Amino acid sequence: MPILVPDINLRIIAPALIVTVTAIVVLLGELVTPAERKRWLGYLSIAGLVVAAFAAFSLWGANASGFSGMVVADNFGLFLTLTIALSAALSILLSIPFIHAHEIDQGEYYVLLLASVAGMIVMATATDLIVIFLGLELLSLPLYILAAFQREDTRSLEAGIKYFLLGAFSSAFFLYGIALVFGATGTTNLAKIAASLAQSAGSPMLSIGVGLLMVGFAFKVALVPFHWWTPDVYDGAPTTVTAFMSVAVKAAAFGAFFRTFQFALPALALDWRAVAAVLAVLTMTLGNVAALLQSNVKRMLAYSSIAHAGYILIALVAMSANGLSSALFYLLAYTVTNLGAFGAVIALSDGARERLEIKDFAGAAREHPLVALALTICLLSLAGFPPFAGFVGKFLIFGAAVETGWAWLAVIGVLNSLVSVYFYLRPVVQMYMSEPAEGWSGIRVAPLVALALLIAVISVIALGVFPAPAIALAAGGLIR
Amino acid sequence: MLTVNHFILLSAILFCLGAVGVLIRRNPLVMFMSIELMLNAANLAFVAFSRYLNNLDGQIFVFLILTVAAAEVAVGLAIIVAMFRARENVDVDEVNELKG
Amino acid sequence: MLTSQFLTYVAFFVLSAIALIGAFLAVTLRNLVRAALGLILSFMGVAGIYFVLEAEFVAIVQVIIYIGAISVLILFAIMLTRGLMTSAASTQNSQWIGAAFVGMLMFAVLFFVAITTNWPLAQPHTISDLIPRLGADLVTTYLLPFEAVSLLLLAALIGAIVIARE
Repeated sequence: MPILVPDINLRIIAPALIVTVTAIVVLLGELVTPAERKRWLGYLSIAGLVVAAFAAFSLWGANASGFSGMVVADNFGLFLTLTIALSAALSILLSIPFIHAHEIDQGEYYVLLLASVAGMIVMATATDLIVIFLGLELLSLPLYILAAFQREDTRSLEAGIKYFLLGAFSSAFFLYGIALVFGATGTTNLAKIAASLAQSAGSPMLSIGVGLLMVGFAFKVALVPFHWWTPDVYDGAPTTVTAFMSVAVKAAAFGAFFRTFQFALPALALDWRAVAAVLAVLTMTLGNVAALLQSNVKRMLAYSSIAHAGYILIALVAMSANGLSSALFYLLAYTVTNLGAFGAVIALSDGARERLEIKDFAGAAREHPLVALALTICLLSLAGFPPFAGFVGKFLIFGAAVETGWAWLAVIGVLNSLVSVYFYLRPVVQMYMSEPAEGWSGIRVAPLVALALLIAVISVIALGVFPAPAIALAAGGLIR
Repeated sequence: MLTVNHFILLSAILFCLGAVGVLIRRNPLVMFMSIELMLNAANLAFVAFSRYLNNLDGQIFVFLILTVAAAEVAVGLAIIVAMFRARENVDVDEVNELKG
Repeated sequence: MLTSQFLTYVAFFVLSAIALIGAFLAVTLRNLVRAALGLILSFMGVAGIYFVLEAEFVAIVQVIIYIGAISVLILFAIMLTRGLMTSAASTQNSQWIGAAFVGMLMFAVLFFVAITTNWPLAQPHTISDLIPRLGADLVTTYLLPFEAVSLLLLAALIGAIVIARE
């Protein structure tokens, strides 16, 4: 039988390819790097991510698809690729001193992180359910290991086991959803699914399949009621891994979520939009209320990340061009803000001894005024105060919801933001108003952490004060 | 006469058995076995659809999913064994330092 | 013709019973080794079903990978963590009533779908050059997933070694 020449177009997968090659180079470099020079592997990884980001920039506007319609380099995917690369680079900056202090500085840390990034980019640019599934697995498997990377610490291992079992459980649902969609439409290609649905009405099987897909995505982005693993995993995993997971996984998974639901299944929108609206309300409310009750910063940020997933889901419910671009902007804003907050928490730790209780932050402003200021800015941005990035993001998302007739959803979102102010301000009050606890003397902030923090804070302010360029970029991210 | 409904019904029962297994058991290894049952059910659905749609894609997916399952088993069992080494107990209910 | 159809019918029900009994044993038995053997039984049943579906290659791969590799790896893990995994405490966790309810509900929905859906499907016909076509598809149409899976395997390998080494 004749074999057709496959549809190879390496250019459109260049970002993922560069990240993969970097991972392999770092893996080989690990063999020849002496123990005291391991940080160079981190620098190498960042260099690879920067090159990948440039590759993504060079593809801007190309709108090319390839590999038999499995993957596309459109602006939507490229915007997410840039967000993911930025979050990975900042996370590595935070990680280099962190994993050294915790004596887990092995090159494999960076290799696994880069493999996960490759999976995220694949997931964000995939246009076929099977490729989305493989991207999901490729991003998840390294993260299970990274969550358990502090092998001496049973809490870290426990986070790894929980994340693994629940992640694999959710992939099974996702996969069964793909199977039912395949059975109903005869294809897994998103464009062909949309075409098939345009011709014939959906069947009950298709609806169930779509429901299972939603369950799979809901697990990955931690929507209530599929969120219960999040606090435990975020709490137990190494702090830098938590920082990375909390932002990058959301960017990739929400990218595929939007692509699948908004572009492949618009014909079924009547069914799933109502479900998504209910999920958004539950997620925002439960995330914020649970965050109120936390005394540990990592757990508080875990619940806060659940709440933010709820805000982003509002943009999906809106199902409009503005909804899509507001979600992209929000993901970028959330990425820099949350990494800044985690960066500040890492900056305030004392070598391997971390300060994770909110009361531990007492008096930090007196000892570390700049770090305290950075943490304050990031928390205010998370709460949605102007003039920071988080405010603009929320403004755009709620605006998109109002435009499309979901004003009540926007109102619930605003009310939730008000509730969130209380718990975001608690660490700030501790830092500025309480007497310093003992043990602050002698803590020096690692230069790389300071650099990451600086980049994050500048981005938070820049996105808040001059949001126009980023909004334009996000609006250019429209698939159609 | 066998129809695709027979196969999907079998696959649905297997999938639900696996899902219930994950939810009710607390040993990570048994939970993991139940997840494998669920993946297997998805494979069965793919092959059945592939045959009745006269579309080979379903069988290709099975190979990809098999590989994913193999990768998952390697990673998952490695973490479970590491946990066992660190702490001689691997029940998810009892492994519970992370609560708050 | 009629007899061959009848035989297929019987084979389907026997193999289904094997797959279901195996799965039931795997999720209910207290002893881990026996549960793993139940899992293997279930995999065997499903491999037989693949033969009924005339997907011989998938059936053989199922036996080699699922039974030969995955189940054996699970058995290894059971042996490595032996003794401490079979505690006297109940094997079910406290939420089993709710979980069973969720499972029943899910099954009811899927049952409804499997029974009521009217499949607009063509009559199956046997594909003669099955294996060459599978191979060709994997390296042409499905090249990207194929490569993604290989990267996945590499990452899993590195991760497993990192986490489990002494």
